[in-house]
Amino acid sequence: MNILESILLAFDAVRSQKLRSGLTLLSIGIGVFGIISATSIMGALQQAVNGQLADLGENSILIQRTPSINFGTNWAKMRRRKNITYQQAKEFRDKMASTNLIAISNEAPGYTIKAGQLSSNPDVTLIGIDDLYFAVNAVSVSSGRPITESEVNTSRPVVIIGQDIVSSLFPATDPIGQQVTIKTQKFSVIGVLEPKGGVMGQSQDNRVLIPITVFNKYYTWEWDASVDISVKATNSMLLPVTVDEATGIMRSLRNVKPWEENNFELDTNDALTGQFSGFTTALLVVAWISGLGALVAAGIGIMNMMLVSVKERTREIGVRKALGARKSWIVRQFLIESITLCQLGGLTGMIGGIGTSYGVTSLLRSFNMPSITFVFPLGTVIFSVVICTIIGIGFGLYPAWRAANLDPIEALRYE
Amino acid sequence: MSTAIIDIEHVVKRYEMGDEEVYALRDVSLTIGSNEYVAIMGPSGSGKSTLMNMLGCLDTPTSGKYLFNGANVAEMNDDDLASIRNKEIGFVFQTFNLLPRATSLKNVELPLVYAGVSAEERTRRAQEALARVQLSDRMGHKPNELSGGQRQRVAIARAIVTAPSIILADEPTGNLDTKTGHDIMNLFRDLWKAGNTVILVTHEEDIAQHARRIIRLRDGRIESDITNHNHA
Repeated sequence: MNILESILLAFDAVRSQKLRSGLTLLSIGIGVFGIISATSIMGALQQAVNGQLADLGENSILIQRTPSINFGTNWAKMRRRKNITYQQAKEFRDKMASTNLIAISNEAPGYTIKAGQLSSNPDVTLIGIDDLYFAVNAVSVSSGRPITESEVNTSRPVVIIGQDIVSSLFPATDPIGQQVTIKTQKFSVIGVLEPKGGVMGQSQDNRVLIPITVFNKYYTWEWDASVDISVKATNSMLLPVTVDEATGIMRSLRNVKPWEENNFELDTNDALTGQFSGFTTALLVVAWISGLGALVAAGIGIMNMMLVSVKERTREIGVRKALGARKSWIVRQFLIESITLCQLGGLTGMIGGIGTSYGVTSLLRSFNMPSITFVFPLGTVIFSVVICTIIGIGFGLYPAWRAANLDPIEALRYE
Repeated sequence: MSTAIIDIEHVVKRYEMGDEEVYALRDVSLTIGSNEYVAIMGPSGSGKSTLMNMLGCLDTPTSGKYLFNGANVAEMNDDDLASIRNKEIGFVFQTFNLLPRATSLKNVELPLVYAGVSAEERTRRAQEALARVQLSDRMGHKPNELSGGQRQRVAIARAIVTAPSIILADEPTGNLDTKTGHDIMNLFRDLWKAGNTVILVTHEEDIAQHARRIIRLRDGRIESDITNHNHA
């Protein structure tokens, strides 16, 4: 009964001082909110990018119109960049040293694949590829065969499907040789992708590959017609040289003046990972510092509230002591009360933070990052509960100690 | 007089107020036995409140000896004092001092919570205590739903629920009208007749007249200690 009673007393304190406790709980909420939403969104981004990078093989260079991660960069400037057309990409391929493997691809999110009465989830990523895609990227076919050069050149309606699509469309039959429909076009299945499973819980198998020529014909829009070029250097020693060579050729193809900066992005696997984790770490540090700052401020608010509560209940404390409450009882009662207050605020922030990160990841997915997924930030939630408890104890201890050490005679006389 | 519950010898209580030393009690000696009914009287400043706090183990003497059931209170620490108050003393206050948010039953249970009694037994004993003050039908009421006399009876139930050695009542009728005050004094008389030891602290002569023994204090000393043959 005593713990329950103390928790109820905490609710009483909130009710009797609505404004003050509202503000205090709000600041705890903001702290927890900041920490949870930042950690959770950054986690989802990191995972999405890792997923993307997982495709880019070793010693490979990725050339794109805009960076795959665009934070803090001038988005308006990025948007004005001209597309890397398929034609331009082919010219690039012809000019690069023939020892390099070069693949051209483009992708678009949000497709539904149908076969007869069955259809896949509406979030399949459609990727247009050429015959070298498998050689350059860390992707392979587990059954059937890859797409051939002639199929690319003659725009054959063939498709290689990922494991998720196999499960939803061909649960019992061999998919090879079957027909599927993407939007209005019919394709025959020639291969199944090697299952990659999830990169940190996110499925890599929810995609289909078709010849890039077919992709360009039916599935691109002007704003998204820019293709990606991946270049695999012969070995890691030659990677820097290859980067320089690719940069030079791209600049000349896209008429970049010597004093202008690149109007395309060129990244290696390492550079991308490094860039991104540098960015997320910086953001996380900022979010955590401000979150913890808000929590400390909230802790001081809690202490103030508890001191007021001790003062208002001086007489009650006197009565309790007269009836035989030991100091440890009084301390415990007030600590439970301040922990309850903290958890109450923390819960608000938690709900807000989880909601926000869910919203942001959904938003990012519908725009530009098909591979991002919301992951419930269990670790951070546990951390928040722990930190709220610590703050409740840390800042509740002094008021509780004050209450426990009241002179019962004075306290009973207090009006 | 039977065995002594309270045995005070040459007790002095001195306060320091700034540079001045104030003596609230100067050399008080007193013995109170089991099943006595004692009134402690005196004008304000006589030391009666200090003596009551001392008897209630809320305070310890500056010098002198205070034996409670043979144990030396003057040498006890805070937790020992809390334990004595919990088990041996039932307080009844002028202003009732019930917890406003708790029901009568929960208020009466409170001392048993601090005594570590199990929930079931707490409820049973609290119900019994409330029955003894004729409030069985008000167990679920909160203090603000009760009259002054009923509140004081809840407070008395709380005081007797632990079966303490003494019931210590500080101006128990001070906030009540004459009729209700009279009912409360009848209740104390019944408790005394049932074998309890009752100590009243009051400045009202007619209230003190209910007791069998009247101790008068003045200027920190016992002025008189008489057996009251005309008790009401």
